[in-house]
Amino acid sequence: MSTANDALNKLIEEARLDPGHVFSAPWEARAFAIALKLSESGYFSWDEFRERLIAEVGASDRIRARDGTSDRGEYYEHFLRALERILDEKGIAR
Amino acid sequence: MSGDHHNTDDTGPAARVKALEAILTEKGLIDPAAIDAIVDIYETRVGPRNGARVVAKAWTDPEYRKRLLANAKSAAAELGIAGPEGGHLVAVENTDRVHNLVVCTLCSCYPWPVLGLPPVWYKSFAYRSRAVSDPRGVLKDFGLELEREVEIRVWDSSAEMRYLVIPERPKGTEGMSEDELAAIVTRDSMVGVAKIAPPASPRRNAPRVRG
Repeated sequence: MSTANDALNKLIEEARLDPGHVFSAPWEARAFAIALKLSESGYFSWDEFRERLIAEVGASDRIRARDGTSDRGEYYEHFLRALERILDEKGIAR
Repeated sequence: MSGDHHNTDDTGPAARVKALEAILTEKGLIDPAAIDAIVDIYETRVGPRNGARVVAKAWTDPEYRKRLLANAKSAAAELGIAGPEGGHLVAVENTDRVHNLVVCTLCSCYPWPVLGLPPVWYKSFAYRSRAVSDPRGVLKDFGLELEREVEIRVWDSSAEMRYLVIPERPKGTEGMSEDELAAIVTRDSMVGVAKIAPPASPRRNAPRVRG
């Protein structure tokens, strides 16, 4: 099993090879831009969105702390779930 | 049960984002062209080059450095740098005795206008969970070993506070212009996970950003 240490070293190495890397796939960029645009348009505040994001990230962190597993950079999966949640809770995409 | 999901099938995140974008567009809540524009801004235009300009100016202009330490948001705005997630910006300076390290333990808070969007490692559990409890170990992972006498201050970012580290100006850069200095300031140094190496040849060897 890889340790948190190994996981960080791998991510650091990836960032060295591609310093400008921001999104790992086009869908990550679209999800980010959709969330930012809806927030700028006033459908929700960025702080409201961040609350959901923190909840998603926290739930994943607790599993990792319990199981001793490392992450693979799936931050935008949490981000997307947070976006889906806020749209659902506010009835925005219905 | 595993918390891992694979992303290649139709129910993966790419398909979900596509469906979301379609319904939001159909309802007139977003315009795909506006989404394209935001992606372009954050992929290519907002990035650590802005922070590098702030740092280079702070290195060369003591009055600006004072203004930056007093109110980083307005000091960045002097250079035309502003935008979402740029409020409550705080600049912290590294010295030979103090080294500052920035993390967001809960999610991914980061000063977008000066640094762009955070790198993958910044958002990782591995970094977030250890930066506070074992900053020296984390810095070692980045290849930075500090003298034991150096105090490490870890700043946990939040919705209220975002941090920009002013790294130490390396020796051998005395004759360099502000633009040349800006070119040697790295993103990692402004998050506090690296120092800036002295340039091999002070005037000519400043690394250039690609493209």
